[in-house]
Amino acid sequence: MSIQLDFPAVLERWPSLLGGAVLTLELACFATVLGALIGTLAAIGRGSRSPLIAGACKIYVEAIRNTPLLVQIFLVYFGLASLGLKLSAFTVAVAALTINVGAYTAEIMRAGFEAIPRGQIEAAEGLALSRLQIYWHIILLPAIEKVYPALTSQFVLLMLASSVCSQISAEELTAVANYIQSDTYRAFETYIIVAVLYVILSLVMRAGFWGLGLVLFPRRRRLGTPL
Amino acid sequence: MTNKTLLGTAAALCGLIMIAATPASADLLDDIMKAKKIRVSTDLAIPPDGMMDANMKPTGSDVEVAQLLAKDWGLELEFIQTTGATRIPNVMTGKADVIISTLSVTPDRAKVIDFSKRYATLESDVGCLKSMNVKDWPDLKGKTVGVTRGTTQDTTLTNMKDKEFNIARYEDDATDVTAAVSGQIDCIGTSLPIIAQIGKKNPERIFEAKIPITTFDLAIGVKKGEPKLLEKLNAWVDQNVKNGKLNAIYKKFHGVELPPDMRG
Repeated sequence: MSIQLDFPAVLERWPSLLGGAVLTLELACFATVLGALIGTLAAIGRGSRSPLIAGACKIYVEAIRNTPLLVQIFLVYFGLASLGLKLSAFTVAVAALTINVGAYTAEIMRAGFEAIPRGQIEAAEGLALSRLQIYWHIILLPAIEKVYPALTSQFVLLMLASSVCSQISAEELTAVANYIQSDTYRAFETYIIVAVLYVILSLVMRAGFWGLGLVLFPRRRRLGTPL
Repeated sequence: MTNKTLLGTAAALCGLIMIAATPASADLLDDIMKAKKIRVSTDLAIPPDGMMDANMKPTGSDVEVAQLLAKDWGLELEFIQTTGATRIPNVMTGKADVIISTLSVTPDRAKVIDFSKRYATLESDVGCLKSMNVKDWPDLKGKTVGVTRGTTQDTTLTNMKDKEFNIARYEDDATDVTAAVSGQIDCIGTSLPIIAQIGKKNPERIFEAKIPITTFDLAIGVKKGEPKLLEKLNAWVDQNVKNGKLNAIYKKFHGVELPPDMRG
């Protein structure tokens, strides 16, 4: 038994592989930023005193967390088109990924909020901090810091999951790989290379989050210890 | 659709060609005749070439071609259900004896399997909304043409020089057609029968063929190194082109005739 691998046949297409990797990273970045925003708002909303807001946020989180990403993507892509709204595949991909990761972020952030000790908030009130100050310094930032590792891996997962966007003609890394293998018949080599590229992208994202963590959390920067 | 090669194909191709584990059998034609049965690799989910009728019996133009072959050779017929991507691996691994499944003849495929003479043709076009005024390639400027990734239509359009249109690649025909039906794309590069299907699914969006892309020969695919089987298949194709039976089958399912030199 012998398998002959011909990597140069695939590697000579590096411009399209690079283009795909860049698009994957772009998808991940847009969806991460927007998803973090929506997710945080949804997590705050779930703790709202208004049952309407809390209920709406709960329905959003549960609906998204209990349906497959691919189905959500198709719903946005074909659903919007049927309603007459034609968006590019990239826009739809970003929207669908954002909606998806937003729900998971909401759950992680909720865990972060719940991990803030009551006494910490009472102490802040005792020091006469304003409500906004309390929310920002005493609740939100420490909450994010507590769940930061979980958030990081969720966003890396999102980047990997963006591979299903090839279905709706977004030319990300997996789409490029599918095309190359159908043209060269070198599937094994193609997917080995693409797998390595995904690992590199993951490392790049993790490094980015590590750096961001240093900027966001003074404790990490100064003491190098987690909360 | 028909020319699609997805994940599986190439994985199987690379892997299985190289792993020369099974020793070459004596002669496939002898084996078929001895077994009194021919196993045909056919995709039964691509109307009108291969499909199931109301009674869940296989029907379609490729199905009837296979039935005609089995009848002429006095053999029992067994369909090996396949997809576009697994057609070729099926014969290479010995799961099926021949492929009759809208298999277009391409140089790349000829490297891994042998082809009989053509028994039909497959015309691909860029089809657009009927209302659109598209006559030639420049008219597509700024428009988006949907294709199924890795098909011959995709490769042909992708490699066109100085093209001014965009290409949207979908993973399979179903998604490609849904994109056209739902209004994501107004132009589609695919085979004639599929272009006609779109209007049936959504009468508000009737597509018609505007610019021809390619016409491919469809042939029966055989594992390499089976000259006796190939020779017998070629003789059979010649005979049934001459007596007009292949043209009759094609016309019955596709509504159009084969090229003039194949009408018997």
